[in-house]
Amino acid sequence: MTEPEPIQKSVEQFILDEIDTVPHLEALLMLCNTAGREWTVDEMAKSLYISPDAAQRILQSLTQRRLIEMISGTTERYRYRCQSEEQDALLRAVDATYRRELVRVSTMIHSKASPAVREFARAFRFTREKDKE
Amino acid sequence: MTQGFLLGVIATTSLIAGVFFLKFWRDTRDSLFLAFAIAFIIEGLNRSAVLFASQSNEGSPWTYLVRLFAFLLILAAIVKKNYSAGG
Amino acid sequence: MGPSVYVLGILVTLSCGILLMRGYARGRKRLLLWSSLCFFGLALSNLLVFIDLVMLPDVDLYLWRLITGAIAMMFLMYGLIWEGE
Repeated sequence: MTEPEPIQKSVEQFILDEIDTVPHLEALLMLCNTAGREWTVDEMAKSLYISPDAAQRILQSLTQRRLIEMISGTTERYRYRCQSEEQDALLRAVDATYRRELVRVSTMIHSKASPAVREFARAFRFTREKDKE
Repeated sequence: MTQGFLLGVIATTSLIAGVFFLKFWRDTRDSLFLAFAIAFIIEGLNRSAVLFASQSNEGSPWTYLVRLFAFLLILAAIVKKNYSAGG
Repeated sequence: MGPSVYVLGILVTLSCGILLMRGYARGRKRLLLWSSLCFFGLALSNLLVFIDLVMLPDVDLYLWRLITGAIAMMFLMYGLIWEGE
């Protein structure tokens, strides 16, 4: 068996910065791979094999990060938010990496610090300013 | 006496904060936390150093320099976070 | 030369406070709220040092500088212990 490929730095950084749990990642990749399609909370919960409450929280958290967007209506729907070519390419790389290295990516996500600590670090990023609405 | 007590509070809490930030740095490998850790630990030690000084009113230029270093360290970490190639 | 260090200090701590408060508004993680309050308190403490040394040399604000610094650190302690996990 060959040496495992190192994970791309940008993929690693994205996961460390933006992804809280494995279901978060799977939800985001699900939405990204079906870009354009709008999902309800229940549909997402079924696809990910989690409870609707958990799905709701995950989708809200991803929306807050501006990775996906919510479309309000009689039922809330969510879809992937296409910010830029680079973001799309990055997410495709993340998707490919996750498919290839599921265990390593999961381990990376689980070994991180608490969400509050990551939020603290994130607060000092200015780059968010660029995609401010 | 009150001043001594308050200095002790500030020194101790600064050192504790420094240790927390060291832990965060260990967990995230984000150098921002290392900068905060060093800054708070320096500040804690700085405040403690007053025990050895003859005047307690922060008149010593050494205090300024140490504090300046701490502030610059934090600034450098914030700049690095935003403008380094690695992201 | 001395006072200008404290101006820098005010700017750095104020910036940290603002960035953390902004971060709290986004993600609602309490650690950021308490850290933000700490940095605002430290900014105030630095401001008092500046006022003490430069603007009101006849008045001794040392005790107030220490009190604001200590209270600011208390906010941070609370945030780190309760929310920092």
